[in-house]
Amino acid sequence: MKLAGLKSIENAHDESVWAATWIPATETRPALLLTGSLDETVKLWKPDELTLERTNAGHCLGVVSVAAHPSGSIAASASLDSFVRVFDVDSNASIATLEAPPSEVWQMQFDPKGTTLAVAGGGSASVQLWDTEKWKLIATLSIPRQEGPKPSDKNSSKKFVLSVGWSPDGKRVACGSMDGTISVFDVARAKFLHHLEGHFMPVRSLVYSPADPRVLFSASDDAHVHMYDAEGKSMIAAMSGHASWVLSVDASPDGAAIATGSSDKTVRLWDLSMRAAVQTMSNHVDQVWGVKFRPPGGPGPRAGRLASVSDDKSLSLYDYS
Amino acid sequence: MAYVYIPVQNSEEEVRVALDQLPRDASDILDILKAEQAPLDLWLIIAREYFKQGKLDQFRQILEEGSSHEIDEYYADVRYERIAILNALGAYYSYLGKVETKQREKEEYFIQATKHYNKASRIDMHEPSTWVGKGQLLLAKGEVEQASAAFRIVLEGDRDNVSALLGQACVEYSRGHYGESLTLFKRALQVYPDCPGAVRLGIGHCHYKLGHVGKACLAFQRVLQLDPENVEALVSLAILDLQTNEAAAIRKGMEKMQRAFEIYPYCAMALNYLANHFFFTGQHFLVEQLTETALAVTNHGPTKSHSYYNLARSYHSKGDYETASRYYWASVKEINKPSEFVFPYYGLGQVQLKLGEIKNALSNFEKVLEVYPDNCETLKVLGHIYVQLGQTEKAQEFLRKAAKIDPRDAQAFLDLGELLISTDTGAALDAFKTARSLLKKGGEEVPIEVLNNIAVIHFEREELELALQNFKEALGDGIWLTFLEGKANTYEVDATSSLLQYKDMQIFRRLEEEGHSVELSWNKVTTLFNLARLLEQLHNTETASTLYRLILYKYPDYVDAYLRLAAIAKARNNLPLSIELVNEALTVNDKCPNALSMLGDLELKNDDWVKAKETFRAASEATDGKDSYATLSLGNWNYFAAIRNEKRNPKLEATHLEKAKELYTRVLVQHTANLYAANGAGVVLAEKGHFDVSKDLFTQVQEAASGSIFVQMPDVWINLAHVYFAQGNFALAVKMYQNCLQKFFYNTDSQILLYLARTHYEAEQWQDCKRTLLRAIHLTPSNYTLRFDAGVAMQKFSASTLQKTKRTVDEVRSTVDELENAVRLFSQLSAASNLYFNGFDEKKINTHVEYCKHLLEAAIVHREAAEREEQQNRQRLDLARQMALAEEARRKAEEQRKFQLERRKQEDELKRVRQQEEHFERVKEQWKSSTSSSKRRDRADIDDGEGGHGEKRRRKGGKRRKKEKSSRSRYEMEEADMMDDHDEPEDDDANVNFREPGYQMNDQDDNVEENAQDVLAAAGLEDSDADDDAAAPSSAGRRKRAWSESDEDEISERKPQSSLLRENSADLQDSDGEFRDKRQENAAVDDED
Repeated sequence: MKLAGLKSIENAHDESVWAATWIPATETRPALLLTGSLDETVKLWKPDELTLERTNAGHCLGVVSVAAHPSGSIAASASLDSFVRVFDVDSNASIATLEAPPSEVWQMQFDPKGTTLAVAGGGSASVQLWDTEKWKLIATLSIPRQEGPKPSDKNSSKKFVLSVGWSPDGKRVACGSMDGTISVFDVARAKFLHHLEGHFMPVRSLVYSPADPRVLFSASDDAHVHMYDAEGKSMIAAMSGHASWVLSVDASPDGAAIATGSSDKTVRLWDLSMRAAVQTMSNHVDQVWGVKFRPPGGPGPRAGRLASVSDDKSLSLYDYS
Repeated sequence: MAYVYIPVQNSEEEVRVALDQLPRDASDILDILKAEQAPLDLWLIIAREYFKQGKLDQFRQILEEGSSHEIDEYYADVRYERIAILNALGAYYSYLGKVETKQREKEEYFIQATKHYNKASRIDMHEPSTWVGKGQLLLAKGEVEQASAAFRIVLEGDRDNVSALLGQACVEYSRGHYGESLTLFKRALQVYPDCPGAVRLGIGHCHYKLGHVGKACLAFQRVLQLDPENVEALVSLAILDLQTNEAAAIRKGMEKMQRAFEIYPYCAMALNYLANHFFFTGQHFLVEQLTETALAVTNHGPTKSHSYYNLARSYHSKGDYETASRYYWASVKEINKPSEFVFPYYGLGQVQLKLGEIKNALSNFEKVLEVYPDNCETLKVLGHIYVQLGQTEKAQEFLRKAAKIDPRDAQAFLDLGELLISTDTGAALDAFKTARSLLKKGGEEVPIEVLNNIAVIHFEREELELALQNFKEALGDGIWLTFLEGKANTYEVDATSSLLQYKDMQIFRRLEEEGHSVELSWNKVTTLFNLARLLEQLHNTETASTLYRLILYKYPDYVDAYLRLAAIAKARNNLPLSIELVNEALTVNDKCPNALSMLGDLELKNDDWVKAKETFRAASEATDGKDSYATLSLGNWNYFAAIRNEKRNPKLEATHLEKAKELYTRVLVQHTANLYAANGAGVVLAEKGHFDVSKDLFTQVQEAASGSIFVQMPDVWINLAHVYFAQGNFALAVKMYQNCLQKFFYNTDSQILLYLARTHYEAEQWQDCKRTLLRAIHLTPSNYTLRFDAGVAMQKFSASTLQKTKRTVDEVRSTVDELENAVRLFSQLSAASNLYFNGFDEKKINTHVEYCKHLLEAAIVHREAAEREEQQNRQRLDLARQMALAEEARRKAEEQRKFQLERRKQEDELKRVRQQEEHFERVKEQWKSSTSSSKRRDRADIDDGEGGHGEKRRRKGGKRRKKEKSSRSRYEMEEADMMDDHDEPEDDDANVNFREPGYQMNDQDDNVEENAQDVLAAAGLEDSDADDDAAAPSSAGRRKRAWSESDEDEISERKPQSSLLRENSADLQDSDGEFRDKRQENAAVDDED
């Protein structure tokens, strides 16, 4: 289990790169890497040479997250102005612009079947679910407010939702908040199930294990990665090693490893059997905002790939084997 | 039975006196001797007999009687006997003088002796025995040269005079000329082979001194053959045996000593040696008895000194330092020069060290060092004394020398290392490493302390991997390896109970159940703690926490481990757990100032101001106000209290600031090098507007704070940046903020980004400002204030662009975009403020929204205007180009006209010719008509050209066409010129018209802005509204920052270690001490406003 650097693009964007995801391969083309940046653009890159396929403008303020539909034909990007732009990957034609005021938009993810887009709704303390056929809002999963003498400022800003993740069976959505709590929802009933506790600082990234729909990984500003049994409400392990905030976490398609990106400028690979970091990549010179494993399937080389993007305006591609 | 026969006067009879039955009263004999006028030699014999029997009084009585005046007169002619009697008396007094210890009586005896010898000399100047006696006397008096002269007189007369030979031998011996002494002794022996053993003793001593141990031994043995009871020979032989340093020989030596003791129990030398022996065998009772006897029987200084020394040693080893000290003193007093016998000085020094008389000890050890300048032990002891006296440099000098002299003395290197650890870690590390390799080479186990110290130094020097290795080596095998290698079976915990994960001890119970032994020996606790600290530094927090818990599992009173766990929990923002852990620490020791200080910090973080203040007070009291951390915390408390209120009460503010300053100053007085206090003082000064002074302070603090892994002071960087900012040095401020962000916060601190944005704002770098704010929003999405600020920045940017007299269309376009963003941001905030409390006045936001919308409307008009203007500009440019082209064309047309004129002339000519011919040929007329038709075609082209011209505003293509055509015909050109001329004035007009509305719009703009500002003013925003807005949130956030992570955290995190690390052996105590430093951590944070 190791990572080997393949290619890095310096100045891939004019400003910090804040988001990255892989657009799955289609019958006509291989998987593409989609990146979003503070420079208000979204770019498409073709592996392994990372040649720039296209630059999409049209966002105001920085692009904070990007998401790709499992079919590989549709992608979404969201920026600080709280608009979600949905576009056709191959033609760049705009499909929809989503907005659900007063929620702002942070992390987004399509469900595994591609029927729903989940959007972390920031200060609204909720996750919005959008239907991907008609692009209508179908549900708002709200975190129940804690009972207290006064529903003051603090509580609401604490439940600010930053991150969202679908379970591989599509039955659950988990979202992470500024106060470190993770909330788990039953999608079918649009119902809040329970909290997962353990973090006390913002949870910026969440991912379910592709191998086990119960296992959830969370990355937090407390420099830890937690591994939860999301159904049993229990914490399986807490993994430390990063020197600063853990900004992004992704699980490898084989389910044996996870990768994390951190403010400490490193990308780490964690062996889940040892529950320890087995490799640290330090090729970035500023915070690493996104790490993403390439999903399996499609034509082209079959080897595992991991991409990372950073505040240093660069993106890097690694071979994962 | 020996008899003396005293002849009876005037008869043949004799009186028989049995020598062993001499009467007790010497007067009886004297009466007989006098009555019978016995020869003087009889007097002498009887006196000697009395002497032999120890009846000294009788002996003296007879001799004194025998040297009285009457006798002198009576026996005037018997010279030799009279001299012999006088000499005997002289010798007697010499002996008394020699033996007497009291100075006055000693001199008295010597005077007596001198008197008698002089008297003898008066009888016969040349009597050798008198000279010999005088020589002996002088020898006894220590006047070696004169003694030698006396002996030489005798020897000149009779070179074989045995007594003189022996005397001279003694002289040479005491002069240290052992060779000469030896020859003299040998001559005496040759002359008088039957001489007493003493001569052979002398030979033995000479040989001994000359280093001929074998010969010395033979000589002593010969003495013993002659006189098996000769104590001196026995003792000498015993000493020789002892000095061989072999167990068997020593045993033999001691046997001889014992025999000597049995033969003559009062030989001080033998007693001392025996005492020495029993000291080593630990029979202190015997030591005391023997030495006391020795002291009683000898008056010989060095021997007494030796005895006292033995006695002192005995008490010393029994721990009775007072008595030991007394006897050492006595021993020292018997010594003239330390070089004679240096041991008691050493012993005295040791005892004085024990009794705390460091200065006295110092002088004694220095005396030892004078004698043995290369003695490692002494050097080391002196080194330690200087450490205790605080003279580190001298101490280092001694320890270095010790280590140099014996480069294989691990202990010296250890001492040196420990000494250097606080001043020069590099050198200390080298020393420790040398010690370690020496110990390893010697096959000894390296003490855990040494490895711990090496590791700690590596830790301090940020060589973390090396530190880890050494800690592991120090700890050896144990349960911790399981955790370090991550082999322990983790088990799931309920996520809700994971709240308490750092208190969980289940893991150890499970391990025990699984049959692992969970052991932790006491001497490894500190090292384990340090290792855990290192793991924290390596960000392996989980393992670190397990190790701390292991310590607590075994040693539940280890307060520092609680505090570290609390610090870890705090770093992860788990405040309830952190508080609980601190409280556990307080149940162990409710006065623990560190725990109290930490609790205070936590309470502040929880916004529990009053409680925090009380806790800090308690911490301060727990240390009698000597604890700078608590004082600093109180100072900080006051500072924040001063700037806490949005609406400041100037009076209260001043009081708090004054109090804060007083507290900081108090700390500075106690610890002049306290960075945190200096920083705090700088903050207060800056608060009062003394930027230059505070800048100096901050710069110094910053310099001092760099270069240690345990001192992290981002605050001072921020403060320095604030000062630059306040002084208008924006570029430097930006640099400072950025460096600080990178160096200390991994670029994650949105508060500093806010400062940075504000600096950009003041410097009117709007885009940088906006971008910085967007980054900050990205880092702390829930901080809506940042969104508001971003909106303000965009608004300000737009307003300032619109106010510019010269601006490009792109600028205006981006202005419109920014305004749209601003409107969106403000509207979102406005909408959000309905739902959540985010600190904004809805009215205020709406004012901004309104203003931005106004601006936006204006801007859109501007944009259109600008776009139009741009179009027109383009047109004008086109026209200018066309004019130039037309000019060119006209010139060409002119040429053409000339050419055509020529041609026409030719044509005319031709015409004339043709007209002349016309009449003749009609065919030719037909040609003429064909030319005119071609002209008409040209004309049509010109029309086309005009059409193209009309379109040219949109199409450039027309121009080219025209150009082609223009070259064709002059008419066309002329017309085109006309058109152009006509166009231009029109254009001008249009421009004027356009421009005027443009100006109006600008005016309008200004009005709008003025109006808007009026509105804003009404809404409580002053003109520089944006500034205030940016500043207000920043001050709000600032407070938070002040108590945020970095500061207090390190308080407990970094510092404690540094302390603990240092002294393994004295860990707990030390850690307490060092906690003080750590406490200084607390930092006052910043601020400008």
